[in-house]
Amino acid sequence: MDFQLTDDQQALVDAVQAILADNADLPQSERLTYCCHDPALQALLEDNGFLGAARSIGPIEAALVVHETAKSLFSIEAMVCGLVAPMTLPDVELAGPVALVTERDLSKAIRNLTVARTLLVDCGDDVVMLPVDQAEVVSVPTIYGYPFGRLIALPDLAGGQRFVGKGAALRQWWRVGIAAEIAGAARAAIDFTIDYVKQRQVFGRPVGSFQSVQHRLVQRHGTVRAGYYLAMRAAWSGSVLDADIAGAHAVQGIQALLFDLHQFNGGMGVTLEYSLHFWTYRIRALQAEAGGITGMALDIADKRWPEPSVPALASEGC
Amino acid sequence: MSNVLAELSALEPFRAQVREWLADNLPADWRERMTGADEADHVVFQKAWFRKLMEPGYAAPHWPVEWGGSGMSFAQQIVLYEEIARAGAPRLILYFIALHHVPGTLLHWGTEEQRQRHLPAILAGDEIWCQGFSEPNAGSDLASLRTRAERRGDHFVVNGQKTWSSNAHLARYCLLLARTDPTAAKARGISYFILDLQTPGVTLRPIKQMTGASHFNEIFLDDVVIPAENLIGPEHGGWAVAQSTLSSERGLSVLELAERMREGFKLLIAAAKVPTRAGRLPLEDDEIRRRMVDVRTRIEALRLLVNNQLSAVLKGEAAGVEPSMIKLYYSDLLRDFTELGVSIGGIEAQFLQGVLMGGANETGYWMQDYLYSWAWTISGGSSEIQRNIIAERGLKLPREPQAA
Repeated sequence: MDFQLTDDQQALVDAVQAILADNADLPQSERLTYCCHDPALQALLEDNGFLGAARSIGPIEAALVVHETAKSLFSIEAMVCGLVAPMTLPDVELAGPVALVTERDLSKAIRNLTVARTLLVDCGDDVVMLPVDQAEVVSVPTIYGYPFGRLIALPDLAGGQRFVGKGAALRQWWRVGIAAEIAGAARAAIDFTIDYVKQRQVFGRPVGSFQSVQHRLVQRHGTVRAGYYLAMRAAWSGSVLDADIAGAHAVQGIQALLFDLHQFNGGMGVTLEYSLHFWTYRIRALQAEAGGITGMALDIADKRWPEPSVPALASEGC
Repeated sequence: MSNVLAELSALEPFRAQVREWLADNLPADWRERMTGADEADHVVFQKAWFRKLMEPGYAAPHWPVEWGGSGMSFAQQIVLYEEIARAGAPRLILYFIALHHVPGTLLHWGTEEQRQRHLPAILAGDEIWCQGFSEPNAGSDLASLRTRAERRGDHFVVNGQKTWSSNAHLARYCLLLARTDPTAAKARGISYFILDLQTPGVTLRPIKQMTGASHFNEIFLDDVVIPAENLIGPEHGGWAVAQSTLSSERGLSVLELAERMREGFKLLIAAAKVPTRAGRLPLEDDEIRRRMVDVRTRIEALRLLVNNQLSAVLKGEAAGVEPSMIKLYYSDLLRDFTELGVSIGGIEAQFLQGVLMGGANETGYWMQDYLYSWAWTISGGSSEIQRNIIAERGLKLPREPQAA
């Protein structure tokens, strides 16, 4: 019902933001890269307990950390080690950062694999946990704003630690994490763009004074705001339906934003030296990881309305 | 999660009481009776339902007790509107202005005589009201209205034209804005009146909509005499009075609409299980399924946006640009929701049918629902105006320069 932060939650957000503000500038050598992951910043957040919020405080706080860290230019792995893993496997200590993959995708490029110490595999009903040996990983060049890597050889899942019956929970919290991370990245991209259109002058006045720009920004802002609330509700309720809704809204609703924000930043918006791509390309990576716009929606539809002729669904309604 | 949730949880017995009353008193056949009903039957039914709702105090929950209302807390009103929506009860659309805008205006600005004259009559179910704000050349830019009210001693003489006045043809009174000082800057020369629509010189012309219904009216005013005692608030100070009128709802109306939309989604599912002429089930079509998930998720998002505004009201905080965000989100969603209904229904959804009078904005008569959804992106401040408000006051973007 009420998504205004408590004093403690606000203090947590402020603290994360303070650390990120102190580590906001990319090194000069990294300014023309697609992705910048700083192990020292990752360790700083971990050492200060922010990535342990799910266990020490609760899932909303963990989702808030994901949301805030997603605003950084640096790629920070908070989603899996800070939210998905502890909510799926509350009694298991994992070495972070953690990469996450579905069993059928083990041969593909995996987000965060080159910086991960642990790999969680969604094996349908079960989850398998494997340590990551970086000697067995090759980096995959990508524009997606995250460090992607590929396993040189398919791992022996039988050699990992298997958690029976945890697959559904993993997929639920994966969606919550994606929704929170997209909401944070989108918020940062919008704020960045708003700053730009206030300052950039064309025809003697700010770009942001044109209604053609204002109105589209307002539409995108509304979508992002709604997505944030949905992500937080899904973290709060722990409901599978809420997680599906948050994930679907994030993946589908964000699409128009990706074009508009680059458009409003003009020519600079499509250069690598500009920061916008760090957030928007990450959002695209998360969209793809979620199954894509159509794929995710159809997956949810299949869960909600599996067979049109099943009468039980009529009473369930929606 | 919060005190707000705790406050609502404490109202579960009240919720059960409302639910039970609705189960016992909502006519089971009301949809049947009101589908394709003519206007006279609709008015009779609205009055009867209004008086029925007055018995347990559910028609005017927000009115103060001293004026015959129930004086319910805001949290109680949230519960009440949720339950009314979930039960699929009729909307009191003929009484909307009378129940919300009139008390919101008179209790703040009206004289004791004005209150005594109208408020009890409204709760007796005798008075239907309408609004006379918009004009042919003053809609979104309301302050540019030109209807003129000239003071002549103890009365005003009004000339001009109003438009888009919902249900004026069924109303007795009108909340009227007119220009009393043509020399003052736009918003400063406006006054606010109670207009008796039976006064000589008032002519109504219903506007036939493309849906076939006649919900709105033009009001022509030719030398209409309004006694000075019908002036609400200070002369030339009507703009501030109008702000009270428009801020009187505090989010409960859109709460009801959002909750009704949740219920209305079941109509989409039902429609998607009806085979098309080609013998296919829309619910098996991937594109339809994708759009259904999209609409379903946005309904939940709308509800959260509404919840957040209601929480702010409960805490006594200023609403900011939230009402504009919600209005924009709702009207966009309603359009996409009903358009999906049209897509699912195919050509069968496009033949003329009887309209459910007093129903939600999602009735299952998809073409009517879809076309009527377009009214929502215009009325009550167009989507473009809402975006201006959010851009300037919410995102703090610079104003577009005034036209020379």
